[in-house]
Order: sequence, then C-alpha cells, then structure tokens
Amino acid sequence: MKFNFFHLMPYPYLPEDFDDVEKYPSMSLTFSNSHFDPAKGVDLYHRYLDELEYADELGYDGIVVNEHHQSGYGMMPSPNVMAAALARRTSRSKIMVLGNAIPIRGNPLRVAEEIAMLDHLTRGRLVSGFVRGIGWEHYAHSVSPADSRSRFNEAHDLIKKAWTTEGPFQWIGEHYEYRYVNVWPRPLQSPHPPIAVPGAGSPETMRWVAENRYMYVSVYAPTKVVKTWFDGYRKAAADLGYEPDPENIALATPVFIGESERSAMREARQHVEWLFHKGLRQGAEIVFPPGYMSAPAMRGLLKAGMKPYPELSFSELVEQGYVIVGGPESVRNRIGELRDELGFGQMMTMLAMGDMSAEMTRRNTEIFATEVLPHFRTEQAGETPPVALAQT
Amino acid sequence: MTTTVDQPAAAARRLDIGSGSISYFRAGSGRPVLFLHAAGGAGEWGPHHQLISEHFDLIAPDHPGFGLSDDLPEVRAMDDLVYHYLDLLDRLGLDQVDLVGASFGGWIAAELAVHSPRRVRKLALLGPAGLRIPEHPVADLFIMTPPQLLGALFHDPGIVESLLATEPGVEDILRSYRDLGALARFGWKPYLSNPKLEGRLRRISAPTRVVAAEHDRIIPRAHCERYAAAIPGAELVVVDDCGHALYGERPDAVTAAVTDFLAD
Repeated sequence: MKFNFFHLMPYPYLPEDFDDVEKYPSMSLTFSNSHFDPAKGVDLYHRYLDELEYADELGYDGIVVNEHHQSGYGMMPSPNVMAAALARRTSRSKIMVLGNAIPIRGNPLRVAEEIAMLDHLTRGRLVSGFVRGIGWEHYAHSVSPADSRSRFNEAHDLIKKAWTTEGPFQWIGEHYEYRYVNVWPRPLQSPHPPIAVPGAGSPETMRWVAENRYMYVSVYAPTKVVKTWFDGYRKAAADLGYEPDPENIALATPVFIGESERSAMREARQHVEWLFHKGLRQGAEIVFPPGYMSAPAMRGLLKAGMKPYPELSFSELVEQGYVIVGGPESVRNRIGELRDELGFGQMMTMLAMGDMSAEMTRRNTEIFATEVLPHFRTEQAGETPPVALAQT
Repeated sequence: MTTTVDQPAAAARRLDIGSGSISYFRAGSGRPVLFLHAAGGAGEWGPHHQLISEHFDLIAPDHPGFGLSDDLPEVRAMDDLVYHYLDLLDRLGLDQVDLVGASFGGWIAAELAVHSPRRVRKLALLGPAGLRIPEHPVADLFIMTPPQLLGALFHDPGIVESLLATEPGVEDILRSYRDLGALARFGWKPYLSNPKLEGRLRRISAPTRVVAAEHDRIIPRAHCERYAAAIPGAELVVVDDCGHALYGERPDAVTAAVTDFLAD
C-alpha cells in the first residue's frame, strides 16, 4: 500500500467571531481577503512547503498539493507553482497535483505545458490529477457550472492528445479552438504522467475514470458512502472487462495520531472541528450550483442524506469514518480494516489539518511515518519499496 | 402525445422539435398570445394563464431544459433560444403573435422582437432580464438559498412565509435544480444579459408595454426604465405593492395590465 502526504495549505488565522454563521457563511468565495495578512502568508507558505519536504524525507510515497480559488480553506490557486517549488527540494516522493481544475482554467494548453515542464523538473515523479473544481470555484472564475463537465471532458481530451500526439495539429471543439497545438516540452513520462481524478459519488465520473483506467480518489465522506463510490468504480471497470489495480483506488482522509487513544481524541478535536465546521462550512448553493450536478447525481446525493459537514459532531466524524483518530496501534488497525472493507491501495493522508501548529503537524507526520507506514510496507515485503523507484 | 397534468383548465401537450420535444399549454380562443415564463414557473398553469386564456388563444411553452421540456442540448445560448421560438411559431403556423415574457422569458421576448420585429404584433415585458447595467446589478439568483430567493422574489412577507411552511420533497428540489441549471446554461456569463441588446432595442416595431414591480429586489426597476426608454414608443407601467414575481404575487393586477394592453 502507498501513503501520500496531502497538504491543503489552509489559512488558520480566522477572526474571533468566525462562529457567526450569518456573518461568515463560508471560508470560500465570500470570506473577504481583508482577513488575509500577507506577513503571515509568507510564513505559512514556507512552513507548509517545509512540511511537504519533510514528508519526502520521511519516506512517504507521494506528496500531494491541490487547487482552490478565493478561499482560506486552501491557499493554492495554482498547485503547479507549489509543485515547482517542491520539485528541486525533494527527490524521492512522487509529486501529486490533485489536481488542476481544468474546466475553470480557461486555457487547457497552459495546463498541458506546465505539467510537461513539471514532469521534467521532477525527473518523472509527477502525478497529474484533473478535477472539475468545487462548485464555488465556478463562481470564482465565472465559468458556467452547466458547462463544467463538457469543458472538463474536452480539456482532458485536448491535454492528453497534446501530450501524446506529434504536433502541430489543429483542435476545434465545443469549448476550445487552437489552430496550432504543438506543446514544448513533451512530458518525460511515456505516454504521459499518471492521471488521478477525485470523485464524490457522481456516476459519470466513476465511469469516465474507469474508461480511462485512471486513479479514482475519494473525498470527505463516511465509510459506508465511500464504499458505494469505490464499488461503483469497480463495477464500471468490470463492465468494461477489467479489475482495477488497488493502487488506482485511493482513500483521502484526515489522520491524527496521538501518544494514546485518549490523548489523540483530546488533542484532535479542535483541529478536526476546524476543518469540518469552519473550513468546510459552505451552503449547498455554492457547492452544487445550478447545472453542476446531473439529475442522477443530484438524486443520489439527496437520497444519500449526508448531513452538511458543520452539523457533524467530532464523535460522528470519527465514528462514521470521515477522519481517523487514535494512538499508533489503533490507527494501524483502523487503516487495515478500512483497506479490507474498501479495497484501496493508496491513501492520501491529510496529516496537516486546519489550525494544527507546525510542531503538532511535524509530530503527526513523523509518528505516522515511523509507526504506521512501515507496518504496511513490511506486510507487502515482496514488493519493491517505492523509495527505490525514485530517480535521484 | 398528450400528457395529462393535475391542472384544472389546461393540459400540457408535447411537440417534437429539434433533438427532442417540448411541453406546452394551449387554451382559449382569439388572437394568439405566446407567453414565455420566467426562470421559475415552467410546467405550471397559474391564475395568470387562466386569465389571459379567457380573452386570447394562449400558448405557454416550457423553455428547453425547463419544466417538462427536454434539454435540447443544441439550444445553448440566447440566439439558439430565439431560433427555437421562431421554429416553434412556424411549427404552429403562427405568422404573428402577441408576445408576453416575464423576467428571463422577457429577455427572450425582447431578443425575438429585435430579431424578427414583424412577427410580433404587440410586446409585453414583465420585469424583463437581459440588459447589462453595472450600476444596477441583478441579484445573483444562483447563489441564493431557497429561502433567500423566495424572500427576494416577493414583496409580501406573508406569501414567503406560507411558501416556506411546506418542506419541499426530493422531486420538488430536483425540478427547481433542473430549471436553475437550464438558466445557468443561458445566463451564467454574461450574467442574465446580452451586452449588445440595449443598442438593438430600437429595431422593435411592435407597440410595447413594460410592466415593472414597485419593489423588485431581483432585477432593479432601472432595467424596466431602460427598456421603456430604448424601445420606440414603449410605455412603462408600475404595479404597486409587488415584488419581482409579478404574476405570482399580484396575478390580477399584472394580468389586467397585460390583457388591457393586448385588447385593442
């Protein structure tokens, strides 16, 4: 099993009255950037990059960055900038961009070019994720959510063709038109960097990821719901006549390890609550703007009856599997149980959570690397350790 | 094919058009009136329809992607909608109609009248969208919660309260999500407007009445005033004690303002 260290890069310094939901309905889109202190921003970016580099030193298989816009929840409007900063300061881990929000980026060829550059800078350690972008990001970049999926599909097709077909060629599509497509450089990895796609239960995404044989990554949901997603992905693959490699199924989840079960529960609460009650406080109207979801996906969502994140208590979040909290042994056991139940072969572990301090994040990252990671490595002793794959 | 719906005076009918079919109501007799609904109101036969159909041959279609109409994915932008409605008039054998449009439907009506002035005998626009006036921005319908949206649509808080008293079911939520999704297709950017429309309104030759709500918290009344100023000879009528949901809030007064105008 592979373990990747996922950093959201949140802005933890919220105003004291942030619990006033009327005043601050969300940390995204409408949360004024007057609350952003540039001096703190400098320190945060460098601290967060240090944390990702530390995960590389500790032997994580991958370090993960992602894209969000106009938000204190995640301060990476361009994950490619962060990946570039990491490329020359790390040497072992895969650098996973999870992902570029291609429907809202306007110019897909720019993404094809940047990823190809990053593939070289990382000497082929790059994993290229593609996402549609959360609903609010369609407001933030003024792209109609009704066009989101067809823009995503077309941008993907164009990028893939640009990476794999000798240019120049012409592209004339519904959303994008180029008379000359001829990207320099071509990617280092052949035919192109591995592709990962986060999904949140939409049947169209499951089928599309299965058709392309990409990695399907879950986002925050209870275990029983994630199970239906992974099963849906496996079913879509089975319909196409193959069984996905478990490494193409990834569970993304926040993890907090304490010295003991009891201390972990005590220490984690504040940070888990920060993530789900503040970071993920957002109304359905900005997460699923009109046109963003297909009718079957919306029906599925309504029937799943998932509570909004801020309405879930800390103990519900732990019990339902949104987060993993415990001492080293119980975290190991929990991950083993989840792997057996869900059948994933990779984890995107979010070990830097919300308003955790630098010291606490470092400790969490380190305990996970020393107490959890080796356990699963030993289990698969027959396999080549991923570290040996790194190109230095 | 006829689909029966739970409506007292008119049943929805279907018409094959484009890549699928649309749903429409048709009732009454006399001169034909094409009624283009707002972002809400698709698939419903309301008191305003009933009142207009008592004097005219009322044709009230659901826009593509709204109500009971198919998506018709080839209809993607406002110009496609204009051609869609020109096709519809041809299919129904109607050379000229009286055209009534509310809000989003008012925008379509104005574009249609700009495109083919001679096919419109008279034009009534009820709180129409379609103009870009940065100093009087249109409220962002897409980002509102259902209670916020209802609160902004009606002037009378009693109506809002009674509408909010009933918890919507899954099917109700899906229906309005689909209607707003279709609206996003035509009006996300530029937001519910065609920046070129205002300059083209001079092409409209039909006598025009613009009906404005006294308290419009969705499309500021300035939009109605600009329409009335730009369309040659247009008159502006303001309905008192009324919000943007004109025919939803004051069907009698609003319909009278329309039927009186269309009568002569």
